Amino acid sequence: MKTLLEVSGVSVTFDGFRAINNLSFQIGAAEMRAIIGPNGAGKTTFMDIVTGKTRPDEGRVIWGERSDNLLKMSESQIARAGVGRKFQRPTVFEDQSVRENLAMALRNDRQPWKVLFYRKTDEGAARIEALAQQIGLSSELTRKAGELSHGQKQWLEIGMLLAQDPRLLLVDEPAAGMTPAERDHTTEILKEAAKTRAVVVVEHDMDFVEKLNCKVTVLHEGSVLAEGSLAHVTSNKNVIDVYLGR
Amino acid sequence: MSLSMSAPVRRKSFLANNPSVLIFLSLLALFTLIATVLGEGFGLGIISTSFIKTLGKTLCLCLIAIAMDLVWGYCGILSLGHFAFFGLGGYMIGMWLMYERTKGIVLDSLANAPLPATPEEVRDAIGSQIFGVVGGSDIPWIWGFADSLTLQLLLVVLVPGLLALVFGWLAFRSRVTGVYLSILTQAMTLALSLYLFQNDSGLRGNNGLSGLQNLPGAASDVPQAVLSVWFLWASALALGLGYLLAAFVVSGKFGSVVRGIRDDEARVRFLGYDVEGYKLFIFTLTAIIAAIAGALYYPQAGIINPAEVAPIASIYLAVWVAIGGRGRLYGAVIGAAFVSLMSSWFTGGGAPDIDLGVYVVQWTDWWLVLLGLSFVLVTLFVPKGIGGLVDLMVRNARVNDRHGADFGPDQGSKREEEQP
Repeated sequence: MKTLLEVSGVSVTFDGFRAINNLSFQIGAAEMRAIIGPNGAGKTTFMDIVTGKTRPDEGRVIWGERSDNLLKMSESQIARAGVGRKFQRPTVFEDQSVRENLAMALRNDRQPWKVLFYRKTDEGAARIEALAQQIGLSSELTRKAGELSHGQKQWLEIGMLLAQDPRLLLVDEPAAGMTPAERDHTTEILKEAAKTRAVVVVEHDMDFVEKLNCKVTVLHEGSVLAEGSLAHVTSNKNVIDVYLGR
Repeated sequence: MSLSMSAPVRRKSFLANNPSVLIFLSLLALFTLIATVLGEGFGLGIISTSFIKTLGKTLCLCLIAIAMDLVWGYCGILSLGHFAFFGLGGYMIGMWLMYERTKGIVLDSLANAPLPATPEEVRDAIGSQIFGVVGGSDIPWIWGFADSLTLQLLLVVLVPGLLALVFGWLAFRSRVTGVYLSILTQAMTLALSLYLFQNDSGLRGNNGLSGLQNLPGAASDVPQAVLSVWFLWASALALGLGYLLAAFVVSGKFGSVVRGIRDDEARVRFLGYDVEGYKLFIFTLTAIIAAIAGALYYPQAGIINPAEVAPIASIYLAVWVAIGGRGRLYGAVIGAAFVSLMSSWFTGGGAPDIDLGVYVVQWTDWWLVLLGLSFVLVTLFVPKGIGGLVDLMVRNARVNDRHGADFGPDQGSKREEEQP
């Protein structure tokens, strides 16, 4: 399997606190991966490093076939290279309509001049319709995103992520605050996405991870504690110790 | 992809999508027509020339308010320095007006001399005429293009534009945002103002440039009554074009990105947009709009001095836009026109004093208190400003206008239909 993202030997320290400690992580081009771990294990910091928000003190982050160094790129360059990110708290543009939110995320030229003279296209409109259908927001396209329910906002953000057509999706707690039915829908969307691209899901909820049915990486104190199937890692003695606090 | 999308979608034109643009342009044209008919220059003479000038100046203030709304109301950059660009625009056009007019006077006075004056003598005479007040007679190098209207008009755009570009590049690149950026822009304005106050700044120190109401050359015989109407027309044209440009910029996808930057900069960045580039574009564009407004304002005011660039002016600008309603272009225009006209009414002795028996409220002193109070009240109770009234009028025509933004994480995954 070809490796899409390779993180090796990465460490980062905040005011003396080692948030990430010699972490190594790999993911293939079409793979689903769940990252679990107790609070403060470094899950969000890991995403911050991959997306360029946080610069690590040491280590390498290598991307794609040409082995680009993500640490040399800005957040927006990394996003354009094909890394999409969904935040823990749904962050959509509440003052704008669902359609505008999706249109902004659509994969298109991002330079100011090109955007200023951008004309709407039929392909773009069709793509937005298709995405809206996928995330179940077809009838809400003209509504302001701020009026949506919490679960709908989560989906809209997932839809924006898909609209970017990224090669790697980083998804932080996608099922938080969702009803069971909404969770199932979210699982479906993520599984579908993982057929053609890499998906990394950070999650607390073990039931949700079980439904994703994928390889699991357990983080603890900033490094990888165990990796494998959910059954494998949950029977690991170290993991049990960390989770049960022994 | 669904098959139903195979038929091409008809898209509405820019003007059909932005009905406020046509309404605004029609009202502006009507206003200009009425002012022309009532003015002294071409019409009945019911309105005095000085009031025509006030109206023309107000239009320029409306134009800079649009720039402020673009940069603050839409892009979220609270710039407290846009009056610096306004002032710079005024100085640039003022240099040409003053130089050419002085040249005309000098040539007239030298015409009767027994020997024809050499170019050096003419230049020296102009220098001592203009810079005598600051104790000099040499023409500084920055006046090098002052004899060319074309070049000086180019400088109206280039000098403030480049200043905004360099300042913005430095500030946005280091990710300075929010109140820190406001303080930086304020510092820039203060520094520019202090520099201009110096006699050796080359721009006549605190005397500023004066006599700008007179056009040089062939137009020097045109009476002020006519000239004031010309400038009113030019100001109205600039305001109309500025409004059109701003409406074009904030509509469509670019506007979407810019409003996104205002609401959640980091999210826009993770969508792959270079936030700094967009901010720099808006900052520089609005600086240029402000400079053009200034270049039209000061010939109507007749004088420009460094006090005009003082930080307080830029703060007033923010107050106008806040009172008018930011995030909507007509709000900025309403705010600037309303507050600046009120201001000249109150401080110009138009408003009658109020005798409280023990104390007489004189509006020349109390106007600022009233303005400050209304700013606080508007911010607290009418955050949408005067422009928000338009929402009330068109609300009935709109559907789905339920701003139920409170359905956040607190209420979990409650759906709208579950709500009573």
